[in-house]
Amino acid sequence: MPPIVARDMGVRRGGRWLLRPASFAIAGGVIGVAGAAGTGKSTLLATFGTLRRPTTGALQVLGADVGDRVARRSIRAWLGYLPGHRQDPDMTTADLITYAGYFKRAARGAVAATISRFGLADVAGLSLTSLPSDVRFRAGIAAACVGNPRLVLIDVPMTGFDPRAWHELVPVLRGAAPTVIVTARTPDELADWCDRVFVLARGRLNELVAPHAAAVPLPRGSWSGARPPPRDPRLIPAGSGAGD
Amino acid sequence: VTDIGRILRLEARATALFLAVPALAAIGLATAWPALIPGVGYWDNTVSAVAGSVRTLGPACAALAAWTALRDDPSLGYLRGLTVRSPATVPLLDLSLLACVALPAYAIVTVVVFVKTMMHQEAGHLGVLGIALGAAVLMTHVTAGYLAGRLFPHMVTVPAVGVAGYLWSIAGPGEGTSWAGLPTAAAIERVDVFAAVDDGLFLARLLWSLGLCVLLVAGYLMWLTRHLWLVVPLGLALGAAAAGVARIQTYDTPVTTASFAYACRSWPIRVCVHPALRPALRSLGTAVTPLAARLSGTQGEFTELTQRSEGPMAMPGAAGTPGAGHGGPADPRAVYVRIDDLSAGFERRALRQIVAALLDPTWCGTGRREPGADYTGLVSAWLLDQRPPRIADTAAAAVFARYDEDDRRAWLRTHYGRFRSCRLTAADFQAFSVTGVRHRVFAAAWPKVRPGPRHRAGLDADRA
Repeated sequence: MPPIVARDMGVRRGGRWLLRPASFAIAGGVIGVAGAAGTGKSTLLATFGTLRRPTTGALQVLGADVGDRVARRSIRAWLGYLPGHRQDPDMTTADLITYAGYFKRAARGAVAATISRFGLADVAGLSLTSLPSDVRFRAGIAAACVGNPRLVLIDVPMTGFDPRAWHELVPVLRGAAPTVIVTARTPDELADWCDRVFVLARGRLNELVAPHAAAVPLPRGSWSGARPPPRDPRLIPAGSGAGD
Repeated sequence: VTDIGRILRLEARATALFLAVPALAAIGLATAWPALIPGVGYWDNTVSAVAGSVRTLGPACAALAAWTALRDDPSLGYLRGLTVRSPATVPLLDLSLLACVALPAYAIVTVVVFVKTMMHQEAGHLGVLGIALGAAVLMTHVTAGYLAGRLFPHMVTVPAVGVAGYLWSIAGPGEGTSWAGLPTAAAIERVDVFAAVDDGLFLARLLWSLGLCVLLVAGYLMWLTRHLWLVVPLGLALGAAAAGVARIQTYDTPVTTASFAYACRSWPIRVCVHPALRPALRSLGTAVTPLAARLSGTQGEFTELTQRSEGPMAMPGAAGTPGAGHGGPADPRAVYVRIDDLSAGFERRALRQIVAALLDPTWCGTGRREPGADYTGLVSAWLLDQRPPRIADTAAAAVFARYDEDDRRAWLRTHYGRFRSCRLTAADFQAFSVTGVRHRVFAAAWPKVRPGPRHRAGLDADRA
């Protein structure tokens, strides 16, 4: 089952539709969501991350309905999230991962394993504020990935890194979880390394035909909501049946 | 528990909430300090001052708690928001963190006030329950503020909670013996050295406050988690609060009369004070002895001075012996003064009380202006060793100024009745000698004609 399945899901904020009601599914792999500032990428990601409720429709994440209070907790057990507009706390790398592990109810060994897995052993005892931005980002991903989640959501990661550091971060991002959803301002930032890229604009989420296309075939008749034809010839509507 | 301690430490560092501790302590001290009796170490007063500091410390902590509840932590909030733990985890962690901020501030207030008390002669009863009561009321404020922030997550909630808490603290009766006073259960008006707070009342208020605090927490967690087992602590909290309220209603006043044994000094005259004011014995005795000597031989003579709590000044021969209940004096020649504290000038204030008590309120009372009031003021100034007041009859003032100490004492013995009833006249100052022989030296014409050497010689002859 796709990790994210939306049925007539709409997200509205500030009096406008960030995502008009639509049905779609997002399969595993590395998924990119591009959109200009203010189009609602972060809100959509927070919705996938169970931090917000969809305004309309239903959303299933990792097979559970986010509208159900008990199910939401089970989703969160397998979910990692790294928001875009965050501040690095005044604590060490190890403390951040320990903190995340506590709220994830991770086993004691999970923290050490995560530090090791993300190559942070050398900086585990150092304050985050003293580290370069790419190492801080890596620590943030590690905090999101403590407990080996199945789905990781990362908001606008491609900012402030030099090309070399970014080159090293890409494998970290791709290997963070079976399904990784990242956002960016432009599709170009995602196209080179994401399996699928969606574009969020004017309340519509349309898929950009990407090099590593891996869309999920949608069960015929189980989706509702007519979608207008994409304006950009490169775009096809999300969940329109492109095979993986 | 180790994990929780580590998480609390991390949160404290990340949120920098501990920076608020000194400010909160300053707020609490600013409230507690004025409630202390200056120069006196009386534990009942100390405890009531510490508990009373919650009047302002509580609302301040409530506002901080409301802010904590509604803040959007940009560094760690997303990790807390995605917890797989119980929904109760985050509120309980927040409340624990707030307790780690509010209670140390309260502890600082307590320690400072205790040290101040121990710097003086200690007396009274250290009611630990009173200190615990303050802490319980403080946590009730914190909990109420936090829940307000959670339920109404708007910035306006923060000042609203603080202002509402403060208004409630100062507007209510504050004595906590009625329904209206329950929200400010820790507040007790200033307790003087003759008063004591019953531990039973502290316990009743503690029950009420703890019950209310647990009721708020358990109720919120039950709403949050839907756990039915929370009915048990809810019921227990309700029972404790109800029991506390029922017990509080049985008290008429929050303070009772303290039992103690007077501390006395017998020479040069007997002076007895509350043991908390023992350091005042020497200076009080020194200050009051000249007055006692000047009144010797008059109807206002006294040989014993005793501190009392309230009520009209009892002069020698008056009905009732206020100090007798505490093992105090029953001497009919005892005089009673009220000494509220040992701040600078307390001896002079005591003397003023004695002299004021000498006067007959029927004639010298407030609102009356007897012709002789000026003369009485002149004599009173001498009794108090003060500068003589300016009076219209400068001749009489000059005459009295020329009397030496013995002359004045003798004069007072003769004129005491007219002095205390404010019925002295110019004639009382015109011709008087210690031998009782009126002479003409200080005739009505004086000071137009100042006495010359011959007159002085005559006066000396009279005295001889």
